[in-house]
Amino acid sequence: MSLSATPLTPEIVSHEGNSMVLSMGPQHPSTHGVLQIMLEIEGESVIKAEPEIGYLHTGIEKNMENLFWSHGQTNAERMDYLAPSSNALCYVLGVEQLLGITDRIPERAKHIRVLNVELTRIASHCVWLGTHGIDLGAISVFFYCFDLRENILDLQEAAGGARMHPNYLRVGGVNGDLPEGYLERVDALIAKFPGRLKELRGLLQANPIFQDRTIDVGILSVEEAVAWSVTGPALRGSGVAYDVRKAFPYSGYDQYEFSVPTRTEGDAYARFLVRLDEMEESIKIIAQAREKLHTPGPFAIDDPKIFPPPKETIALSMEALIHHFKIVSEGFRVPPGDVYQAVEGPRGELGYYLVSNGENRPYRVRTRPPSLYNLQALKGMAPGNLIADLVVMIGSLDPVFGEVDR
Amino acid sequence: MPSTQTPPIAGTAIDPPGVRPAIDDAVIEVVDPKALHARLEALRAEGYTMLLDLGAVDYLERVPRFEVVYHLLKMPVAAATLAQVGTPARLRLRCGLKEGEHLPTVSDLWKSADWAEREVFDLFGILFDGHPDLRRIQMPHDWEGHPLRKDYPLRGPARERSPRPAFGLKSNVQAGTPPTGRTLEALQQQRISAEGPKGHELTGGESE
Repeated sequence: MSLSATPLTPEIVSHEGNSMVLSMGPQHPSTHGVLQIMLEIEGESVIKAEPEIGYLHTGIEKNMENLFWSHGQTNAERMDYLAPSSNALCYVLGVEQLLGITDRIPERAKHIRVLNVELTRIASHCVWLGTHGIDLGAISVFFYCFDLRENILDLQEAAGGARMHPNYLRVGGVNGDLPEGYLERVDALIAKFPGRLKELRGLLQANPIFQDRTIDVGILSVEEAVAWSVTGPALRGSGVAYDVRKAFPYSGYDQYEFSVPTRTEGDAYARFLVRLDEMEESIKIIAQAREKLHTPGPFAIDDPKIFPPPKETIALSMEALIHHFKIVSEGFRVPPGDVYQAVEGPRGELGYYLVSNGENRPYRVRTRPPSLYNLQALKGMAPGNLIADLVVMIGSLDPVFGEVDR
Repeated sequence: MPSTQTPPIAGTAIDPPGVRPAIDDAVIEVVDPKALHARLEALRAEGYTMLLDLGAVDYLERVPRFEVVYHLLKMPVAAATLAQVGTPARLRLRCGLKEGEHLPTVSDLWKSADWAEREVFDLFGILFDGHPDLRRIQMPHDWEGHPLRKDYPLRGPARERSPRPAFGLKSNVQAGTPPTGRTLEALQQQRISAEGPKGHELTGGESE
């Protein structure tokens, strides 16, 4: 057998009926979690890709049916573990709608929530950018991103007490006012951010290797994106400026000025640029929220049946003690009804369909996980591409498996 | 504290969505399973181009028992600016379903219905006629039962068949009792009878 001097291209290697099946994952480093993709390949090119999910299924929805309304939120935070506050906000807003207290939430609480959610959006995009870079061989981006994320996790810890799952947002407001010196640390982050983002853009945006790997890879047309129910940066990268924050404003987002970055190319590079621009918009929102937080005020609803009274009053007032005891021991009841609440998570439209039958536990919590629908679009995107490009596509869709599998 | 300590509060609703008018901004429609596919097709032609989500609820005591809920969104199917998207209308289609009844698949209308319907089948046991690949998606492929049904126990049926040793019997248990509940003596006796009275031949019958 003679060796040819010209390199073998997929066209030469493949011929009809010579396909094989390859299992990619669930332990593959570029699948960002426990994703298995059954690939039907011919040489290096993919004929069919069938993602297999469920490796991280923990029955969160079933668990939530058996927890108090307030406890369910801690489970909600663990779905999209890169953006816990977004999940918490969505759940909390839904419960507040069922309770009919949406209009009574203090302004300060709303702005603190917005501040927190936008911080998590940046932190989540930092993880996406870092891992996306690593997938494509750019290791240093990861360290720059995680340094920035660390600043945000410190802020989460200062406000909520925990780095990863702060559980800071509560039904009726937030759990305690912002600690002293918090806003100054936010200022420091706002001052640091532009320079750091410029560095990140400098590392990747004009990098010919990165461009080579991402431009015209994983193209998602508008029709395909809508048919696969893709939302968030992936949909905006295809040209539709749909953002839940603008379309259905919640938690006072109508008072903020920000734009919704879109691209029309629909490839992995477009999604990359959309997310980077989105981080800039987030920092704008954070700066505005920070200005709105100058004025002190209540941070939670004044309703002891829903939000426990301050700890200081418990030792002094019998009523406060009883209210506190009732909330801790049996939670609060929510009037019967159903509601669909959506927020713009870092990955797209995150929705909760909540059903209450009047008890102190949810009857049904159905999550609309953006990652699940975005990941499903891989079935439409992958065929006809190389296996190496599949890694780019997964990275550019940014799935989180806590949310896909729940 | 969470768990099952608190008794259920009286006055619960069997049909929660039916007792309260819409709270959110979605248009709500109720449709019969037979008319479901035609109605969804018509809605899609009307401009509800995105199937936001598809989920089910099990109202155990109600007839019909299940409800499959379709969330639709009016979405332009072309590049659109913020102003063109505006506030797209949302629609919630509720479809009551008796036990054992099937639903037609909508994966021919929306590709995204594929996994959503598989999940409803997996966790509720609702069958979708015409689905190209209806198999379990979240639970293992050989799992029995549908966990999100209300009559499915939280800890699963396997746990109920082999309960943990009761803590009430703790005072009767001697130190060193293995978790199977059998005593140390019983286990030693069992081993002696299995190995024969002289012990294992390699140890010469002298030591353990």
